[in-house]
Amino acid sequence: MSRATTNPGGSADRPPDQQPMIVLEGVSKTYPGHLTPAVAEVDLAVARGSIVMLVGPSGCGKTTTLKMMNRLIEPTTGRILLDGEDVTKVNADQLRRRIGYVIQQVGLFPHFTVGQNIGVVPRMLGWERRRIRQRIDELLELVGLPPGEFRDRYPRQLSGGQQQRVGVARALAADPPVMLMDEPFGAIDPITRERLHDQFLEIQRTVRKTICFVTHDLQEAIKLGDHIAIFAAGGRIAQYDTPEMILSRPANDFVREFVGSGAAVRRLHLIALSTLALDKIATGSSATAGAHPVIEVDGSGRPVAWIRVPGVDGSPALATVPLSGSVYDAVDAMLDAHSSAVAVVDGDGRAVGALRWEALVGELQMRGRHR
Amino acid sequence: MPDLTRLPPVVARRRAGVRSHADLLSTPIIVLLGGAAVALWVSTRKLDDIETRALQPSAILSDLGQHLILTAYSTFFVIVIAVPLGILLSRQGARRIRNVVLAVSGFAQALPPYGVLVLIAFAPAPFGFNPFSVIAGLVAAALLPVLRNTVVGLRQVDPALIEAARGMGMSARATLFRVELPLAVPVMMAGIRVALVLNVGTAVLATFVGGGGLGSLIVRAQTLNRPIVLVTAGAIVAALALMVDWLAGVAERLVRARTS
Repeated sequence: MSRATTNPGGSADRPPDQQPMIVLEGVSKTYPGHLTPAVAEVDLAVARGSIVMLVGPSGCGKTTTLKMMNRLIEPTTGRILLDGEDVTKVNADQLRRRIGYVIQQVGLFPHFTVGQNIGVVPRMLGWERRRIRQRIDELLELVGLPPGEFRDRYPRQLSGGQQQRVGVARALAADPPVMLMDEPFGAIDPITRERLHDQFLEIQRTVRKTICFVTHDLQEAIKLGDHIAIFAAGGRIAQYDTPEMILSRPANDFVREFVGSGAAVRRLHLIALSTLALDKIATGSSATAGAHPVIEVDGSGRPVAWIRVPGVDGSPALATVPLSGSVYDAVDAMLDAHSSAVAVVDGDGRAVGALRWEALVGELQMRGRHR
Repeated sequence: MPDLTRLPPVVARRRAGVRSHADLLSTPIIVLLGGAAVALWVSTRKLDDIETRALQPSAILSDLGQHLILTAYSTFFVIVIAVPLGILLSRQGARRIRNVVLAVSGFAQALPPYGVLVLIAFAPAPFGFNPFSVIAGLVAAALLPVLRNTVVGLRQVDPALIEAARGMGMSARATLFRVELPLAVPVMMAGIRVALVLNVGTAVLATFVGGGGLGSLIVRAQTLNRPIVLVTAGAIVAALALMVDWLAGVAERLVRARTS
């Protein structure tokens, strides 16, 4: 997933496919009987095919902002453009059939089977039976639930994580260009949530939706978002930027405090191992190799133990990390193994390189200077 | 008053998760044993002419038929009035008048049905000493359980489901018919069952305002001063009430099994 580094502002003279998918212009919401607005003068542009995370403390208006996009809540003032069209005046029910919607409580209908739940919107749109059935199976495959096993089950026969995957499939059913997600993984245990995050990003790589995603978890926002909008109390956006910039250049004290300590460590999530220059590894028992770390591998090329790591006395404990991981994962593996080096492995578990602590710190120093 | 049928309404049976339905057999067995015992007792007695005439199957069947018709009509009108009213009251916009209407219908139920029937019978046409008045009185007395259970059943539907439905683009109407009502039906059925049992019992009073029914048999037995007829009539009314409650209970369980 590409991370645009510039703010995807709403300049009108872009070519159509680069025009933002969702634009909020001066959108405010004041609930009846309240003096202060829940959302105040929000301007936001969401680039086509990108994920924008709406983050902030409770009561800051992030969910209200999301629900105004599909008009579950009507804005008091301002315009909302979807693909260039002002949607504040169109039929709300028809508008919502063009927007996928996922909520924290999932909201699967308990008296419908999994398949029927996914088929709700296609049925409303008048699709043919065969096409709906095909689509249901296709989506169940996509979210990793074998259709034969899950299509005819009822929601109560599913775990929380499986239910939320069906929730995502249901929102994708009619292939809407836009998805709104309101803390979809908020009620799921941390381990399952990690897995769902990875799966979510993988699905997004295939479907390329424009996604607005509400969360109160900054970690989640950094992991999933192409851009992050940080909401401050009073329903204002305190900063709208890439995760990288929010962590390294907080725009004001509110963001600085919200990001809190540990921003440097969190930033490690953003550096993919595949973008680093890794040390070459020599394999086998030929301990003669010069400056390269030497590793013992088994028959299929999987690392078994370090034989020698330059600059380290003795042979440190072996820790491995997948190439698809981030620097954070590598550092985590090193600390866990009390080792100053980690072997990077490919999808099949074969060693493709090594990362040493000194080299990593040097690399980060260089990146810091280049910024 | 020979009101043998005012059994406490049983609303909440065990949840549908219980796979065994053996408990459903108990009511029919009790009714069969009780009926057999009464029949045996009657058959060992020597009946005089008056008793024989009063216990003629054709007379009893005619009273029973009237009784069932009164019960069916009044329950039908209870449903036709209370379910739509309950749906309206469950809507967000009706939250101010919801409690007022429920209180008024609670008041209607608290009135003694006998008094209501007599009052209605003395009201101007089309009321009077006729089945129409009986049905009006029965409907008033049995409205509340269905009304309240419709409101409660719809209000207890998880708001997240309604939000999900509306968020996907279901209209308010489609959400009501495809999500809210199907999920409220078990609770509504429990209310209808209570109304049905109330109506079977209260219809005994119909005879006092010219409505017929099994109450007539009881009144005849009292006027004739024939205990054996009185006991038989009481047994029939009790058996009828038990069986109607049982049938409604079976229906309720079927609905529960289908929707939850």
